[in-house]
Parts: sequence; C-alpha cells; structure tokens
Amino acid sequence: MTSVHFRTVTETPLVELSGVGVRIGSTQILRDVDLQITAGEVVGLFGANGAGKTTMLRLIATLIRPAQGQGTVLGADLSSAERYDVRRRIGMIGHVPGLYPELTLGENLRYSARVAGVPTERAGEALGAVGLAGAADRRAGASSHGMQRRTEFARELMIDRSLLLLDEPHSALDRDAVDLVEGLIERKAAEGGAVVVVSHDRDRINAIAHRSVELAGGTLT
Amino acid sequence: MTTGFWQQAKAVSGRDLLRERRRGDVLWITIPFGAIALLLVPLAVGTDAALLREIGPGMYWVIVMLFGVLVAVGKASSETLPQQDASLLLGLDPAAGFVGRSGAATLLLLIFEVVVGVVAVGLYDISIIGIPWLIFTLLTAAIGLALLGTLTGSIVNSTSAGTALVPLLVAPLSVPLLLGATQSYEGLRLGHSIVSWILLMVVVVLVVAIIGVLTARPLQET
Amino acid sequence: MTAQTRNRWWPWAAIVLSLATAFTLAMVSPADDVQGNLVRIMYLHVPAAWLAYLAFLVTFVGSVAYLLTRHFRWDRIAAASAEIGVYFTGLAIVLGMIWAKPTWGVWWTWDARLTLTAIMFFVYLGYLALRRTTDDPIARANRAAVLGVVGAIQIPLVHFSVVWWRTLHQPPSIIRPDGPAIQDSMMLVALIVGVLAFTVVYVSLMVKRIELIHLEDQRDAVERTADQPVAGEAVTAPDLGGPS
Repeated sequence: MTSVHFRTVTETPLVELSGVGVRIGSTQILRDVDLQITAGEVVGLFGANGAGKTTMLRLIATLIRPAQGQGTVLGADLSSAERYDVRRRIGMIGHVPGLYPELTLGENLRYSARVAGVPTERAGEALGAVGLAGAADRRAGASSHGMQRRTEFARELMIDRSLLLLDEPHSALDRDAVDLVEGLIERKAAEGGAVVVVSHDRDRINAIAHRSVELAGGTLT
Repeated sequence: MTTGFWQQAKAVSGRDLLRERRRGDVLWITIPFGAIALLLVPLAVGTDAALLREIGPGMYWVIVMLFGVLVAVGKASSETLPQQDASLLLGLDPAAGFVGRSGAATLLLLIFEVVVGVVAVGLYDISIIGIPWLIFTLLTAAIGLALLGTLTGSIVNSTSAGTALVPLLVAPLSVPLLLGATQSYEGLRLGHSIVSWILLMVVVVLVVAIIGVLTARPLQET
Repeated sequence: MTAQTRNRWWPWAAIVLSLATAFTLAMVSPADDVQGNLVRIMYLHVPAAWLAYLAFLVTFVGSVAYLLTRHFRWDRIAAASAEIGVYFTGLAIVLGMIWAKPTWGVWWTWDARLTLTAIMFFVYLGYLALRRTTDDPIARANRAAVLGVVGAIQIPLVHFSVVWWRTLHQPPSIIRPDGPAIQDSMMLVALIVGVLAFTVVYVSLMVKRIELIHLEDQRDAVERTADQPVAGEAVTAPDLGGPS
C-alpha cells in the first residue's frame, strides 16, 4: 500500500461483522467473517475467482441475511427488519449492470431519482457529470458496458449515500472514466462515508485505499 | 429524503409500462396467443352458431384467466438480480413495488381483455349487454388477476421452477373471479341481479391486495 | 416400557385400532335402501373429505403462525399437514368418482363439494411444488407461508362461488339419487367412528412427519455448520504446464 490520499479516518464503525457466515441454498460461501469499516475509510477487497467477493458486497449491502454470526451496517442489524431502513444510504455498483435494457440511460436515471426521492432534474446533471449528456436517449441495452457503468456512477452521484460498494469499478472504463471513479471514491470518503472496492487490480486499489483485505477460504485475512 | 409510497408505486408502474411498450410482449405475443386459442376451440367442438354463442362467454373468460396471468407474470419475473438489487438500494418499499407492478399489469390485462374480447365477439357472435356492468366486471377481473399474478410471481421469484409454476398456483385461486365474471354475464343476459357476483369479485381483489401488501417484505427475504 | 418404545408403537396401535373399529362398523351397518352396499364407500369418502379440509386448515394456521413468529416449528406443521392433506384430498376425489359412476352413470358430477375439493387438491399441489423448488430454508418457509395464507383465505371465496354457481345451475330434474340420507343410527355411528378413525390417522401421521422434517432440518443444520469446504475452494490456479 502506498500513499494515502484522504483525510484521517474517524472511528465511527459503519460496518461491523462478527463471525458472519453466508450460505446460498445449500452452499457455504462465507465463514467466520470479521470486519469493521469506519467512516471515511476506503477498503480494498481482493480474492481469487469464486472466493465470495460479490457475496460479501451483497451482504454488506444488506441484500443477504447472515446464516451465522452477527452484523450491523449503518447501525442496522443484518438479521432484522432494520436493514430495510438503511438501504437507501447504501450504493452498489455490481459486476453486471442493474439498468433496464429497454429504457434509455436517461430514463433509467430518472426512474432511480423518482424511487429514491430526488428531483429528476438531477438525472440530467449527473449524466452530464459522467460525460453521457449526449447519450441520454440511447437505450441501455444498446449501450456499451462502459456506458452503462458510467450511468450507474451517475446514479451514485445523484443520490446521497453513506456507504459505496464497488465491484470491479475499473472494468470496461476508459481513462477518463477511471479518473471519474477515483474522484467519486475520494469524494465519498471525504464526505464521511466509506467505500469498499472489489478488484483484481491490486496496484490501482492499493494506491487509493487505506487498507486492503484478502478473501480466501471463505473468510478474510 | 424518502419518497412517498404512492410515488414509488407510480414510478414502478411507469417503468414496467414503458418496458412493455418497448418490448411489445403483450401486444405481439400474449394477445395473439389468446386470440388463436379462441380460434382453436370451434375447430375442436364444432362450429354450430348456437353452440358457440352458448359457450363463447365462458371460453373467453377461461382464456383471460389462463393466458392473462402470463401478462402479469411476464413482467413481475423479468427483473434480473442486479436490477432488483438496484431498486432495493434505492429504498424501494417492497409493498410499493407490489402495488406498482400490479397497477401496470392491470392496465395490460385490460388491453388484453378488450382486444381478445373483440375477437370473441366476432368469432362466437356474443351479445354485448349491460355495458356499465360489463366494464366494471372487466376492470375487477383485470385487477384481481393482476394482483394474483404479481403476488404469485413474487412467491416464485428465484425458485428453480420460476414463472412455469405461476399458472398452476393462480388457476385454482382465480376460480371466484372466473365464476364471478361468467355468472355476471349470464345474469345480465337473463335479467337477474348480479350484485352478489360483483361483490364476490371485489372481495377477492381486496383480500389479495391486502395479503400482497402485508407479505411484500417477507417475500423479499433470501 | 421406555418412552422411546411407547412413542414408537402408539401411533401404529392407534391407527390399527381405529381403522379396525371403523371397518367393522362400516361392514355391520345396514345397506342403503336405494344404493345397497355402494353406500359403504361413503364411510371412507366422507372422512377423507373431512381430513382434506382439516389438513388445509392446519396448513393455514401453521402458515399464519410462522409469519407472525418466524419459528420453523410452524413451517414444519404447515408442510407436514399439506403433504398428508394432498393424499387425503386425492383419496376423497377418487372415492367420490368411484361412488358416482354406478350411482349417477358419470365419473364426475360437478357437485359443489366435489368441485371445491378438486380445486383444493390443485392448491395443495402448487404449495408442495413451491416447497420442492425453493432451496433456501428461510425463503421456502416465507414463500410457502404466504401461499398457504393466500390459498386458505381464497378457499371460502371459492366455496361460495362454486355453491352459488351450482345453485343457479341445478342438474336436470331426472330421478337420480342424492347423497344417501342417514336412515339408521348404525350408519351415523359408523360414519362418526370413521371420521374419528381418520382423524387419529392424521394426527399420528402428523406426529411422525413433523418429527421426520425436524430431523431433516437438524441434519441440514449440522451440514451447514460442519467443517465443509466453502464454494471458493473449488477454484484453483490454472495449470498451463506442458512439456518443459
């Protein structure tokens, strides 16, 4: 790990996992996971293919309940209904885009704005900020993977989040977009949020993260 | 900032209707499928006009119940996991999602009923009587079937059988709607009161709506 | 006799005793004036139909209780009752058809109760199909419970609609026998004992089935926490080595 770009990390834990295990169907994916992430922190998450990195992100996003152990995210117990209340403050950009291919990039963002309760005008501004103002009327299904990624980053610019989870954020992005991603990460951390970044590009992540953790054998080292 | 329940439901409805408008599944696949089913029946049972007039209304409603559910479930289950995750992380209330999807399915089912209904009138020489009550019946049946389809779509979401299981689950539960719709038409034809049938259908709608809203969150859990 | 031995034999003893009693009474009760010995099918059909409804009710209660408490015990009760109920529902339908053919000349009469029982049979089948296709135990319990509630609440509505429908569309007024009237107190006794016997059968099967489901769940829980490899350990580094 090289230089740290961000301000001093505060001590408020946004994520606390203790002995957490996750099963999907009858398959154990994660086991005995202990993790604490505090406000202002950027954490890199590495691991081999199939190690459970995406599952870990979905767990932190409160989309999966732990089968063993205890965890809280943004103060909400992961095993209780409290987790519904904090989801709005968690942003996640996954491996596979979560856009609707039949809708245009602009329509996708405006839908997100309406559900999240932000003015739909922000959708246009956010698309402009990621350099897609001219592509707002292009269908998501007809857009490249990189454009869809940028649109998802636009969504995260539009909505106020305390926690940002990024799964392979640099994939399919050109140089300009990579700078955009790193700017977004820096901004979130500076605002007192936290960012977890899954990537295979250790050098790039280590350059911007406070620390990194390795997922192997279903647990963190 | 949190959005109101109804604003979220409206956003989900709008999303689904826009997707359907772009895809055209209902217009170009489900409606023609319903129409051709109406065409096949006389080939099997005979083309005697009196017979077709007799069985026409019943056949129409059976096709609405069996094929109409495909309208509701086609959408409800057509979200990928990343799409669902994204919606949930926008703070979408699962109950608002249920109401929104049901609303969109209702409108599409109404279109299905009207278009297939025109085909039925043409092929089976069915009389159109008691238009206000007929409209109310069409509307109630559409809402009830949309709610049933959306609810069962949520129930089978991410099971291994997926949408293939939905018609099996919906068909027996749609019997009160089927009987309510057919007996309403029969009652109008014979000049009998149909209030009890209409009330039955309204009760079905209310029951399924309430259950759908109350169970939306448990059904989200994995 | 140990508690375990007592537990092992009492359900079978109860089943044998009660069925034997019911069978004896069914055979010694008088034949019906119109249907003769055919009426004896009723001593199986009616209890089976009663059980079909009872099992459905128990599935509903278990489903509601699970949704309120999230205790898996209630999910087990609902599931066991549905499994047993589907067999008794099928039995009631088949026996009804066997009785109908010589009596009315057709296998199926569209009688309101029979039609309702057939609809319930499909609701059960759907419920069991849903359980079979859901791997995750929590998701399975949640979804099955919701379907159990929806199905059960819809059944009275289905019942009303079917009864009203049959009321409006009476069968043609030819001379045809109705369901047998209970002409003799022995017939009534035989019927009641039959219902009680089948209820004992149901309870015994429920006890055993719930116990079995519980053991299956415990086995799954042990497997879950056992020291088994996580999914990721199946992925290793590729081996591109050839002849050096």
